[in-house]
Amino acid sequence: MAAMNKRTAVPGFAIGCFLFYMLLPIVATYAFSVATRWDRSILPEGLTLDWYKAAFTDQWFIIVFKNSLVLSISTVIASILLIVPTAYWVHLRVPKARPLLDLISTLPFAIPGVVLALGLIRLYARPPLMLARTPVMLVAAYVIFTMPFMYRPVANSLEAVNIRVLTEAAQSLGASWGRTLRQIILPNILPGILSGGLLVFATIFGEFTIATFLVGARYKTFPMQLVYFTRRDGRIASAYSVISFTIAWTTSLVILWIAAWGAKRTSGGGKHPTKGHTTGVVGD
Amino acid sequence: MSYLDLDHLNKAFDGAIAVNNLSLHVEKGEFVSLLGPSGCGKTTTLRMIAGFETPDSGSIHLAGEEITSVPPNRRGMGMVFQSYALFPNMTAWGNVAFGLRVAQKSQKDIKQRVNQLLDLVGLSNAGHKYTNELSGGQQQRVALARALAIEPRVLLLDEPLSALDAVVRVSLRHEIRRIQTALGITTIYVTHDQEEALSISDRVVVMRQAMIEQVGTPEEIYTQPDTHFVATFVGTSNQFPGILKDARSGLVTSVNGDWQISIPPIMDDHMQNGDALIVIVRPEEIRVSQAEIVIEEDNVITAVLETITLLGPVTRLSLSLPGQLIIADIKTVDRGRFVCGTSVQLSFPRRACRVMPGGDITNGDDN
Amino acid sequence: MTSNQAKKRRRKRKWLDWIPLMPFLFFCLVIMILPLFFMLKGSFTGSEGQFTLEHYAKMGVSIYAISFRNSILLSGITAILGVIMGTIVGYFICQLRSKRAQELVTALCDVTSNFTGAPLAFAFIVVLGSNGVLTLALREYLNWKIYPAFSIYSFWGLALAYTYFQLPLMVLLIIPAIAGLKSEWREAARGLGASSGQYWRYVGLPVLTPAIGAGLLLLFANAFGAYATAYTLTEFRFPLITLQLGFLLTGEVFRDPGAGDAMGILTLLMMGMSIIIYQVISRRGRKWQQ
Ligand SMILES: Nc1ncnc2c1ncn2[C@@H]1O[C@H](COP(=O)(O)OP(=O)(O)OP(=O)(O)O)[C@@H](O)[C@H]1O
Ligand SMILES: [Mg+2]
Repeated sequence: MAAMNKRTAVPGFAIGCFLFYMLLPIVATYAFSVATRWDRSILPEGLTLDWYKAAFTDQWFIIVFKNSLVLSISTVIASILLIVPTAYWVHLRVPKARPLLDLISTLPFAIPGVVLALGLIRLYARPPLMLARTPVMLVAAYVIFTMPFMYRPVANSLEAVNIRVLTEAAQSLGASWGRTLRQIILPNILPGILSGGLLVFATIFGEFTIATFLVGARYKTFPMQLVYFTRRDGRIASAYSVISFTIAWTTSLVILWIAAWGAKRTSGGGKHPTKGHTTGVVGD
Repeated sequence: MSYLDLDHLNKAFDGAIAVNNLSLHVEKGEFVSLLGPSGCGKTTTLRMIAGFETPDSGSIHLAGEEITSVPPNRRGMGMVFQSYALFPNMTAWGNVAFGLRVAQKSQKDIKQRVNQLLDLVGLSNAGHKYTNELSGGQQQRVALARALAIEPRVLLLDEPLSALDAVVRVSLRHEIRRIQTALGITTIYVTHDQEEALSISDRVVVMRQAMIEQVGTPEEIYTQPDTHFVATFVGTSNQFPGILKDARSGLVTSVNGDWQISIPPIMDDHMQNGDALIVIVRPEEIRVSQAEIVIEEDNVITAVLETITLLGPVTRLSLSLPGQLIIADIKTVDRGRFVCGTSVQLSFPRRACRVMPGGDITNGDDN
Repeated sequence: MTSNQAKKRRRKRKWLDWIPLMPFLFFCLVIMILPLFFMLKGSFTGSEGQFTLEHYAKMGVSIYAISFRNSILLSGITAILGVIMGTIVGYFICQLRSKRAQELVTALCDVTSNFTGAPLAFAFIVVLGSNGVLTLALREYLNWKIYPAFSIYSFWGLALAYTYFQLPLMVLLIIPAIAGLKSEWREAARGLGASSGQYWRYVGLPVLTPAIGAGLLLLFANAFGAYATAYTLTEFRFPLITLQLGFLLTGEVFRDPGAGDAMGILTLLMMGMSIIIYQVISRRGRKWQQ
């Protein structure tokens, strides 16, 4: 009996501590954002939605939200347009280029946002180019920064369904290139594209570092405003934090759901195209 | 000119020759197998016919029309892939219908034809299933139905059964042949399983190292192999290396004189007395009897029985002569008479012997 | 057609196959490779355009040396903490009976490993700031005043916040490796008379070693490049190499471009080496597990 207890007690305690550590900051932020005052007592003194109201009525809220949305969506689109056709072509026709592509798409893991920003500014922020400090350059930097997130799931789903044979099968049945792409290739790598795209979206929506250095106050983003409020008004910052984090975890769950859906759809055994976690190297 | 003509096809990958000056002529409705060891160029040949590889030189004609550089989606070849290559985003029904949709057939026609084909391959109840819900054998049936749906001018199959287990493989290969005969469709079938090739083909093409070694009916390939390679690759063969003593009477002796074999007389002069040659005898042609019995036969040789291996209906005896092992297959019901380690007599008729020039005794597989 | 012509045609087609890759390769060249290349060049170029090592010499002293030391310590310590705790937690998660519970905890790891940067920093201010929830609770109930000995704005405060995103990442990395430990191995070891401890010592841990080593390097790189969390907590007050770089970058004019380039290159070297070793180890580990 005692042995039994001990056997479940240790893991139970360890996982309990883990959950406490993981959940406390999240729960506290959510609670803080709806508390009237919470810096004098253990429990909040009362509940309120005032901080959200304050956040929403701030004239900047719409602007930074829209800016971040525009940046994220542009990055996702640019990333898909640049990476998906390239990855498909390489898997189909130039298998020799695959190691090169794998290498290039892991490089960004080793490039911190500050260093990428530094490099771009040093090279492109001088006359006559003056390109570095524009939103377009920011999106370009983001495509590089998030490349592993897009390339890996897409490459995995290309491998999982043996794209080359499927392409040949479609062609032997008379299908043109366009039809093969639309009806065979895209539907089969869609889970990879979707989860890659969502991961890119969530990453960029919360990205602070590169945006600060490249565009700064000229094109304020949601995370910049959040950082600004952490110094000026913790209440409003908490509302921003909650919104930011809610977007992040919703995206993560959708990605997990897509992975499960993709795994069910493509061949039962084998490799799952998007299986695993929704994380790359993410410390920021 | 035949229905499908391959003329002097060549194909190399990065300098390594995969297909070397290959010519083959296939009649309409014929079932032809390409048989050969791994890497001999079967798949490459098939893919050139399908249009997935462009030959470096040579031409392909179909019904008199040159198709060498027609893109694969306009050749009208139905292809069945080793890995099935079913579209995982579609049901079995959708897979079969795909080629018909591409050809812009009417909904009614598509429906009718798909159902008819699923029926033909015995899957009329599985149309709604996705590919990962089908067994390997069922997937291969869908792949076959999908290729047949477009009424291909030629049906191409690349080792379609190699991923299946033995029982399914045998039953499905007979089904493929049945459907092929029923539809009268010209078929090229790639395999490295000789039993498969011999049992379902009208003609077998034996390939080796990027070249055709022999083309013939299964029976010709088995009973009259042209080359040493064919004799040893298709079926099992015993080889007696010897020297031609007398071409007119057909007498061969072993190099060191241990035995003599009588062969059918050699009438032309492609071999002279004194030439080195190899006498080839199939194991099932050899009869084995106890040493003391007197046998009337063209060839009788004494050997020592080494091992007895039960294979099912036949039992394989391995027998040693000085410097070589001989294999003989006997009926399993007759095997009780033999004891390992005793002397026995081998006998076989003159007509069971085939003669190949000796000197280049290369082995069956080239890997 | 002569075979020579055929050969030429073939070579031309192969070359054509590379053309669709050009937009992508060109993009990577312009946005990623060239900037880094010029950074490398700049780090060896003096104010007169001459070759020099002075920028690197500067890295060995004063604020730069301190920043590097702090960055390495912070990344190293949080990586080690993350690996140890992550492996233990991962093991216990794999032991959970209920599949549902396993999935829930893994999903939580997924979510929390993405919880970084400013929101994370802010959450830790809420929890452990000088008036944070936990700070107050500890003072009230345990009469334990953690301030001023501890501060969320100090090294250990940063370490606590960093560990928050390191730990779930390690759990996600180690779970597949632990799940890959075949129960047959344990049974075989048992059958050969090994105790549970001996099983872990001779079979379990050695098999997990590649995953653990890979995790250590990945976590190190993960923390080394982090910026937003530290910036939100400390602005530029705490000397870390990424913050130092950011400090150089703020303002329209560079204070010391050569030093910036040298810092950037050294950071890339640290990260690059970690990632390369990570790749090598994890590839070997994967091969081993098959
Ligand atoms: N795409 C390719 N690139 C380079 N070499 C190739 C390619 N396809 C085939 N080869 C080479 O050409 C030769 C013939 O290959 P092929 O696939 O036709 O053989 P096969 O007879 O089908 O063998 P198997 O029975 O193993 O399928 C082999 O040496 C192979 O390595
Ligand atoms: Mg093949």
